[in-house]
Amino acid sequence: MSNESRNLDQLQRWMQTVISWPAGVEAGIASEAAQAKIALESSELETVVTASSKQTSLERIGIYANAYYARLLECLSEEFPALVCAMGKTAFGAFSMEYLQEYHPSSYTLCDLGANFPQFLRENKPQTEENEVDWTDLLIEIATLERVYSEVFDGPGIEQKALLTEETLNSIKPEEWPEISLKMAPCFRLMQFQFPVHDFISNARKGNTPQIPEQQVTYLAITRRNYIVRREAISQAEFFLLSKLQAGLNVGDAITLFAESDLMEPEELGLKLHEWFKRWTTAAFFIDVCKP
Amino acid sequence: MIKPRLGHENLGLGVGLRTVHFPHILEHQPEVDWFEIISENFMDSAGRPRHVLEQIAERYPIVMHGVSLSIGSTDPLNREYLKKLKTLAESVNAHWISDHVCWTGVAGRNTHDLLPIPYNEKTLSHLVKRIRIVQEILERPLVLENPSSYLEFQDSTMPEAEFVCRMAEEADCGLLLDVNNVYVSSVNHEFDPVKYIEAIPAPRVVQCHLAGHTNCGTHLIDTHNGHVIDPVWNLFQLMHQRTGGVATLLEWDADIPPFPVVHEEVLKARKYMDENLPLPEQSHSEETVANPSSTAIPHPASFIVAEVE
Repeated sequence: MSNESRNLDQLQRWMQTVISWPAGVEAGIASEAAQAKIALESSELETVVTASSKQTSLERIGIYANAYYARLLECLSEEFPALVCAMGKTAFGAFSMEYLQEYHPSSYTLCDLGANFPQFLRENKPQTEENEVDWTDLLIEIATLERVYSEVFDGPGIEQKALLTEETLNSIKPEEWPEISLKMAPCFRLMQFQFPVHDFISNARKGNTPQIPEQQVTYLAITRRNYIVRREAISQAEFFLLSKLQAGLNVGDAITLFAESDLMEPEELGLKLHEWFKRWTTAAFFIDVCKP
Repeated sequence: MIKPRLGHENLGLGVGLRTVHFPHILEHQPEVDWFEIISENFMDSAGRPRHVLEQIAERYPIVMHGVSLSIGSTDPLNREYLKKLKTLAESVNAHWISDHVCWTGVAGRNTHDLLPIPYNEKTLSHLVKRIRIVQEILERPLVLENPSSYLEFQDSTMPEAEFVCRMAEEADCGLLLDVNNVYVSSVNHEFDPVKYIEAIPAPRVVQCHLAGHTNCGTHLIDTHNGHVIDPVWNLFQLMHQRTGGVATLLEWDADIPPFPVVHEEVLKARKYMDENLPLPEQSHSEETVANPSSTAIPHPASFIVAEVE
């Protein structure tokens, strides 16, 4: 087959298969998927790709094959630097290769390349005893938080919006409070982890080689101010109440559920509520109050 | 009669906008004629990249350069992508939108590479048809760049220069002539780069790209990681003489130096544009940049890393 008789679609599907074949170009050419498009032996490659005086056809197509995983792996390493630090470059490379084969890049933007990486790690987590938290959970949590950072960094934010002020909150009459609900900032995320992954990630991103942390349940509030992602460790009590507000419950119902949770004595809650709402408002977790 | 540059303005000497230079540009407002952005890095952004772009667009002319149009693919055109491209162009008042004569993936995949197509009548007709559709959607002429490539197909029946010329004429689109790509491909495929430049229909050239590359001994890779070498400057001079001058841009995408170094590199073009000025002493020959042990890879697109407090 030569010249124009070969269909372009056939050629492109063949080339994509060959250059993205994880075991290399020759194995790619011999693969069933490539043979189904263009049936040939490696020695017959010149019938598809020409040689130059300095390079064989195999070497020439090999340039694209070498670049394929190297480029995508480099991109994933940039998005998940702390995961590289925790796993080591070799293991990260091996997982990335598997990931790229299971979740083929399909988006027009490299911003989406790592979108399914945390999910991929979860799907491939070795079986452990029920409820047992181990090293692999730490890796999954690091990947999850690093991906959240990417999404919050380039997603919708509040920089161009008028922020909720303490004065607005103070202007709400006490009897109105139970019925109001709060609109969270679009960049606001609440997350619970089994490890203090935020500290590990910050350390790794500074170029350090942090110690692998001990297990310690961690609650984080993540948002973005002035186009920079901010993360704050919060208490379990704050996490509980914020998660109810984020779910759309009005303040009264959220506080009732909170009181039933036994996370805090009622007297202490009364004192804390004012302080929390003031701090959460300053941190711009909420952008509006919604009255019924 | 086609107007020079398809009627577009000669924007002067520009620099490819890269995130590492954001702080310098915002603080110093350097005297750069214009900036080219990688479209895909901004079309979905609602964060800092887009915010910085909006500030830069207020002060400098912007041109959009894409890496995922995949005009040569047999997959259907991504209309959602084209819609976003158009919206971004309108919002930053882009002077034009460019991409590459290539395909980036098929069967729903994106390799994030600029892959070559065979040059023959069938592929020419395929591209021309798709360029016309894109131009209708974007409501403006598309500007397409000659790719650098590392292989050629037996299915090709014409040289790249002929393919690119006929494509531009038949689809009535503009050309982004990357003189470094012409040089890289000329070494890899053993053709005369001067004849290539001479074959290009000058009035259709809207823009020119300059860049550095890596010499791997048996072939060159378009890495955009260093100075423009002398043979590429010579091709630029020829291109300038033929076109009478077009918007010219330097791409530097790996091992990126501080902004003034990048800017200074593109300003060297002035000496090749003005026949009254003495030509600079040539100091970057192919031999001086040769690195046969290099494991360099091209990076058509880049990932923007999140900034976290």
